[in-house]
Order: sequence, then structure tokens, then C-alpha cells
Amino acid sequence: MNGESFHLNLMKSGEVRSSSPVRLRVMMPLLAMLATIGLVVWWGSSLAQSIIISAQIKTIEADIDAKRKDHSEVMEQQGLVRELRLQIEQLEYYGNGVRAVGEPLAKLAEVTPVRIQMTELSISPLPPQNLTPPGKKGPPLWGPTTNVETQKLVIAGRATRETPVQAMMESLDADEFAGLVTKARKVNSFRQDSSQSKDGRRLLAFEVEYTMPERRFSK
Amino acid sequence: MSIGKVAFAMARMRKFAFAQIAVCSGATAYWHVKCCIGSLVKLQLTQTKTIEISLPGLGGGKKSKKDIVGVEMFSGKPEGCPAVRLYRKKDTWHLAAVGFAKPPDGEMPECWDDVSKQPSWELPRQFRAPSAAIAVNSDMGSFGQASADAIIQDMMRGLSQGPSGVAKQTTDSSVGKKRLGLKRGPAASSTGTQSTAIEPVSAKRPLFPDYGVPVSENGRRFTVRPFAEEGFHLAASLPEFQALWLGRLLPEGKRPTACSIQVAESALMASVLAQPTFIEAKGSLLALIFRADAAFFAGYKNGEPVLWRRCPGKCGYIHMREAVKKTLGVDDSLVDSVLEDSLIDPRPALEPFLHPVLEQLELARAYLAGKQSINADKVLLLGLPRGTEHLRLYAEETLKLKLAAPDPFDGITADKGVVTDEPHAFLAALGAALAAAEVEVTA
Repeated sequence: MNGESFHLNLMKSGEVRSSSPVRLRVMMPLLAMLATIGLVVWWGSSLAQSIIISAQIKTIEADIDAKRKDHSEVMEQQGLVRELRLQIEQLEYYGNGVRAVGEPLAKLAEVTPVRIQMTELSISPLPPQNLTPPGKKGPPLWGPTTNVETQKLVIAGRATRETPVQAMMESLDADEFAGLVTKARKVNSFRQDSSQSKDGRRLLAFEVEYTMPERRFSK
Repeated sequence: MSIGKVAFAMARMRKFAFAQIAVCSGATAYWHVKCCIGSLVKLQLTQTKTIEISLPGLGGGKKSKKDIVGVEMFSGKPEGCPAVRLYRKKDTWHLAAVGFAKPPDGEMPECWDDVSKQPSWELPRQFRAPSAAIAVNSDMGSFGQASADAIIQDMMRGLSQGPSGVAKQTTDSSVGKKRLGLKRGPAASSTGTQSTAIEPVSAKRPLFPDYGVPVSENGRRFTVRPFAEEGFHLAASLPEFQALWLGRLLPEGKRPTACSIQVAESALMASVLAQPTFIEAKGSLLALIFRADAAFFAGYKNGEPVLWRRCPGKCGYIHMREAVKKTLGVDDSLVDSVLEDSLIDPRPALEPFLHPVLEQLELARAYLAGKQSINADKVLLLGLPRGTEHLRLYAEETLKLKLAAPDPFDGITADKGVVTDEPHAFLAALGAALAAAEVEVTA
């Protein structure tokens, strides 16, 4: 059972007034106006803030643009410095890797018996080594692939007998030739030569290969 | 105003704004605001589909009133306007105050020109509830059961010729100074159940109003409620200017403000809602309600109105007094004593008055028994301040019928010190408050 059935209200809902002293029809526009003002203020402050920030961004961008050129120049210079340093370092490596063979070779003439006629004194050239990494295009970059280099000293000549050759080899084992050769040697050939000496004696041709001390390209 | 109230008000504003946005954005497409009924907005999505959106904080709404004052205006009582303040506490209605309030300065308008003379009215302190339900006695008002056609004809007829299909209020000018003389066409049917063939003023046929939603048509304001009997509706109407005048009578921002305007008969019909007898009978009974100038039969079935009929002839309480005065030849001051004092038997004087009333009562009972299957072997008698006992005895002797004459405030807990000598004078005020509070009647 519902009392609503008996409520024949002739008052329209739009006519109902509030008994509260706080009148909604006054307060609602007032609050709406306050809210609008608040929104406008907030929107204004946000707009001002965004304008300031965008101006700052533009200034910073201009500053960056101005400094970008200097920066690239500095970076270029730094790269050049690095390159030069590396070159100097490389030269230092080469400087340290210089093999002083002049003095031992001068002494070699002294210890070489007179009955030996040297026909060849050579340091075998190393096979060319490509420093360019595999797969990289362009012209090859020749140079040592490691900082240690080992070469061979080949001594070839003629002698009337084997004794002087033996004597020379023993002389080269001395410490004063340590800068030129190591004790590791290999007799490549020792045979009868086809040519004869002036006095008609038959000559022996020999070829000895010495391993030279390691040449280090390092500090 | 506290921060909480501000936040609450802003939340309501935001919701309202969202609804407006939805309505405005929808208006460009298929959405159309069909009508706005207070807090209810109807949106027509398509030609066939309509949705209703309830907006908070607009208008009266459906919220049940917890503290309300009912006032009967222009009742013709010399003491003033009967007023009753009710409040609900722990599912019980309490009577906070009862008494007479000084009527407003000025008279209710009888034409549009008088609307400008709008007084402001304040009720005594004890009646300052948040809301007020006004029950108005207006000769230009109408209340009764009618068919849909009769209601529409009344709406078409508007103010110019007055109601016909709906029962019109009495025009007895002797009932107090505030009773307004009818300055228009002939008196309408007192029974109010059938429509007369008066030519309508308006050529346009108005739509039948939604239940509980007042509509204005041709200078009158109408409201309709469903009636338990099929084909009939309960309808009330007032001239538009009177409704506007009453609505503005209580000023905004001061307690109370009007939340409901009812025709006094409508309020009388609702006055039984809190009666224990009504609740015990599960809302199915017959009530005989007396007023100063008329008597009414009100039938209820399962708490819904099923009969409202004005007793034909002069059947009001003042007519009863006139009968006693005329027959016994007593002075006006002695009539009350005669009606209450057992030493003098007033029945010979009362019989000519009571006989037609009881005849009509028997007809009403027969109608309820035959048409509505309601066995009204106990009838509520309300609104009769004196002579109740004689009426009860006469009814028991002639009809073998028991009349229960309870106090109108039965079922309502009165606060300490709240008493009245004439409870029946507040019947309309009480009914207006109960109806406006839209009480749930539970058995």
C-alpha cells in the first residue's frame, strides 16, 4: 500500500522552493561563477607558464644551435689530437723497435775469416701484412699485425774449407752479436761450388740462416 | 557554508552540467529532450526509444518527507488555519504540533488580476518544518473520480466554464468568510462520476496527463492519480492563478516552504492512511468523512482509492446543527450540549438529516460489495466533532452496521504536551501532510 496514490499534488516541481537560507538558485550561479573565475585564473596561469616555458625552450634551442658549431669544432680538434697522439705513439713504437745492427755488422767483418768470401748478407723481408679488418672495403693498409717482429739473417758465401765457416759461426755465437743474431741458426746449404779459385782449388758454397732477435714495437 | 556543503553543491552542479552536455550534444543527432519533469528528463533517442534520466537536486523529487507540516487553508474556521506538524522517527509518525495558524493577509485570487496581490505568510514557530503541504478549500477547485474523457473535456473547457466531469467543491457561501463565491457557470454535478455535454472551449484535444504530474491547460492546473476501478481516475484541479498564488505564499529561504498543494477533499481522503483500523483492514474499507458543509464516502481497496462520492444534499456538520436547532428550537450555543448530552434525545431532530446519509452509506456499501468485493461491515466515521454516538446508534439500529469513530490522530504518536480539543478540525491538514509525505502504509 502506497500513500503516493493519494497525493494529488497540484504544485509543479519547478515551483518548489527551498526552505534553506542558502538558496540554491543564488548559490549555484555564484559557485558556477567562482568556478569559472577559478578556471579562467588557472587557465591563464597555465597559459602564462606555457608561454614562459616555450620562450625558454626557444632561447635554449638558439643557444644549443650556436654552441653546436663550436662543439663540432672542438670535437674535431679533439679527434685530431687523438690521431696525432696515436701517430706519435706509433712513432715511439717504431723508435723503440729500431734494431741497432751497424755495430755488430762492423764487428762481423772483423771476425769473418779471410778464407771466406761472402756472397750474400741479407735480412729476409717479411711478407706484406694487411691491417685492414676482413670485410672492410677500400685499399689495403699495410703494416705489422702484431707488435713483435722476427726476421732471418741469411749469410751466404764461399770458402775453401769448412773450418773458416765453423769459426765464423762460433764467432757469431758471442754475446757481442746478440743484438744481431740469436743462437738459433740453420745451415741451409753446404756444398761443392761449381766455380774454382784462382789457384785452381775447388770451393765450398754455404748458406746459413740466423734467427734475429725479436723486434718489439712497444713502449 | 562548510567546505563539505560547497563540495556537495559543486558535485551536484557538475552532474547537472554533464547531463546538460549530454542533452546538448545529443540534440544535434537523434537525442531530443521530450520533457523535463522536475528532476526527471526524458530523452528521445529514436522515434520509438525514450530514456528517462533522473537529475539530482532539481525540484521536489521523490524523496519522502521526514518532517512536514500540513495546513488547511480557507476552511472557514474562525480560529484560523488548522495546522499539523508531523515527523517520522523510527518508522513511526509523531505529532510535533497541532493548532491553528493565523491566516495570511489578503484573499485567494479569483482572477488573474488578483495574482499580483501576493502576500507573504509565515507560520508560527512550532510549525516551521522544512516543507509544508497545503490543503486548500477553493470553490473554483475540483476533486473526484472521473473517466479519462471527462478529465480531458474538463481540461479543454479550462477556466471559463469550470469543472463538470470531476466533482466540484461545494459553493455554500455560509461556510465562513473565506469561502469564495463562484462567479462562473452553473453548478456542476455533485456526484461527479459522469461528464456533462458542455461544449469545449479549446478545439485542441490535450494529452491525458501522466500520473502525479500536474499539467496546466486552459488556465487550470490538473493532476491525476490512478483509481482502483478500471476506467476511472482520481483527478484534482485548481485555477492556475490560485495554484501560483498558493505556491508563492510561503517565502523562500524560511521554514516552511510549500512542497504540495492539494484540494481539501483530496487531503481528507488521505487522512485515514495512518489509522490503525485502516492498516488492520489491509487498506480495504469504507469511510464516511464529514466536513462542515458536506459528507463524503471514501472507499479503499488494498490501500488504493476505489470510491469517492459526495453525499447528495445538505449533509455537512453545519446542516446537522441546523436540523437540531430548527427541530428542537435551541439556541446556537446549546446545540453542542444537545448533541453530547444524553438527557435530551436529539434523534427525532437528527433522523431527517441522518436518514439520507445512511441511505447513501448503504448504497456505497452495496457498490463496494458488488463491484469491488469489499465487505464493509465496519465503517470509519471521521470529521464529526459531536453527535457521533447518535449516528452510531442510529446506524446500528437501522443498518445493523458498526461505525468506528476513531480519533483522527490514532496511529500517530503525539509528543508530550501536544493535545487538541477538536481533533476532527485537523483532518484535512493531517491528510495533506500524510499524502505529501507519501507514507508507505504497511499492514
